[in-house]
Amino acid sequence: MRIWMRIWAIATNTLREAIRNKLLYTLLFFSVAVIGTAVLIASLSYVEGARIIQDLGLSAIRLFGVGIAVFVGIGLIHGEVERRTVYTILSKPVSRTHFLLGKFLGLALTVWLQLVLMSIAFAGVVLLSGGTLGFGHAAALFLVGMELMLIVAVATLFSAFTTPMLAALFTLGVYALGHLSRELYHLGQQADVASVTWVATWVYRLVPDLETFNKTIEAAHGMPISAVEVGLSTLYAVGYTTALLFAASYIFRHRDMK
Amino acid sequence: MTRSTRDIICVEDVVKDFRPGFGLRRKRVLHGVSFVVREGEIFGFVGPNGAGKTTMLKVLMDLIRPTSGRASILGSDVSETEFRHQVGFLPENPYFYPFLTAREILTFYAKLSGMAEPTRSQRVAGVIEWVGLEHAADARLKTYSKGMLQRVGIAQSLVHDPIVVFLDEPMSGLDPLGRKEIRDIILRLKAEGKTVFMNTHILTDVEMICDRVAIIVEGQIRYQGTVENFLEDDDMRSDVVLSHLPADLGVRLDEDFDARIQGVGDRIEIHLRDKDVSRLLEMALAEGAEVVSVTQRRISLESIFLETVAKSREGSSNR
Ligand SMILES: Nc1ncnc2c1ncn2[C@@H]1O[C@H](COP(=O)(O)OP(=O)(O)OP(=O)(O)O)[C@@H](O)[C@H]1O
Ligand SMILES: [Mg+2]
Repeated sequence: MRIWMRIWAIATNTLREAIRNKLLYTLLFFSVAVIGTAVLIASLSYVEGARIIQDLGLSAIRLFGVGIAVFVGIGLIHGEVERRTVYTILSKPVSRTHFLLGKFLGLALTVWLQLVLMSIAFAGVVLLSGGTLGFGHAAALFLVGMELMLIVAVATLFSAFTTPMLAALFTLGVYALGHLSRELYHLGQQADVASVTWVATWVYRLVPDLETFNKTIEAAHGMPISAVEVGLSTLYAVGYTTALLFAASYIFRHRDMK
Repeated sequence: MTRSTRDIICVEDVVKDFRPGFGLRRKRVLHGVSFVVREGEIFGFVGPNGAGKTTMLKVLMDLIRPTSGRASILGSDVSETEFRHQVGFLPENPYFYPFLTAREILTFYAKLSGMAEPTRSQRVAGVIEWVGLEHAADARLKTYSKGMLQRVGIAQSLVHDPIVVFLDEPMSGLDPLGRKEIRDIILRLKAEGKTVFMNTHILTDVEMICDRVAIIVEGQIRYQGTVENFLEDDDMRSDVVLSHLPADLGVRLDEDFDARIQGVGDRIEIHLRDKDVSRLLEMALAEGAEVVSVTQRRISLESIFLETVAKSREGSSNR
């Protein structure tokens, strides 16, 4: 119980620090501006305006969400170690694993808060432009939230041991691979060389399959999304995140704080 | 090393190697450091820049792991976590989240130490007053000066009422008044029965407040013990100036005392051990000489320190 209180204190502190950091407002303002621009483009194109708004809007949310998750997320641990805030925190009865969990949770909360604000902007734009919202939109946005949580966990893992530049690169790499891994897998199965098949298979197994969380088209075009599918994707995200955090915590526990 | 129950900190043969870069070459920063800190004392860990003071403190805070050796605080190995609610730590040049206020950050640290309301906010207000930050308690830390941040650092190390406090250069960045205030805080901690471990190279502070010191040079402990013993290692000396001496007295002084004598006009200046001064004065007055002045030459910790450092550097370069 006491342990959770400490993890929660670190998480809320991270969220509070993030909210007061002007950089986040800038990103948020920018993303809302992009969603607004989507409406403008859509209203100029006349044909299927509502769908284009939704398509562009959801894509913008995903893109900005990842941007925020990566760049704010990387600063998380590395910034703490570099600026030595971690010294005082770890001198309290807080283990390194608790610290990492607290930071992760605080970051996930920050990213989710951004997502909620962007979703509100999105909903407003859709409703104003005469569209309707349904379960599909909620499900798509929820899954974006799950994907962002996973990306934050990836960022946490990399920033537990590399420099911020490399961590950002690796995380973006995992993000790109994660969206391509299905394609790669299928391509690999068709390859003649056995080693190519082997590599493609292992990339598919190791890198999270992020396309699972991409329901942009379904939501924008009013296609059905099943609750079971959402549930399974959620389990997948939670499982993967847990594994990543275990790895991050193992590495973080065994390193020196310079 | 014998370990008594009154030993609050116990460091045994700690070695720390760093591997800068990717090469295999290792750099040994701590060469088997051992010392104990007893309950209720102010312990000064003293050494020149780069001696390994901060590295030792990081080992004690479990921020880095020793290559070999053991360190324990309050009987718990430093790798444990729970005992740390009894430990306070001020790092070198502390840094805190710039967008939070002093009150918020201290509340945060108090929560991390497991303090609950209503004790928590009382204690936070208490330490803010203690370090003299009442006027700025609700301003964001990014508006703070270096000295103010140092005070937040000290407040943070005390907010959970620890039994033992570790301070890395607590006076750095403070003006003379600020330094006195910090000294007073440290003395008050001692009066409350707390144990204080302090890294420093400001020797006047050591002389003023420390009970015992360990002197570390290039990762090795060169001296460990009380400040007084350290000072007595070299005898204190005094200068006595006399005039109207009988002619033969100068010769007899030379024989009787292990003193250096210099004639200055009709006066002579005698440079001798402190403890011989009264005997010399008695003798001189009985012979009808006049005493012009007696000056105690205080050998400062600084000069001894410089000597120790120079000696051990010489020693290590000869090896
Ligand atoms: N992470 C590290 N990697 C490599 N070398 C290091 C590392 N940390 C410290 N050192 C080296 O260890 C030595 C001791 O450093 P340390 O910071 O402990 O000195 P210090 O006694 O605290 O000095 P100061 O009075 O300047 O604070 C220095 O030579 C330093 O370069
Ligand atoms: Mg230092």
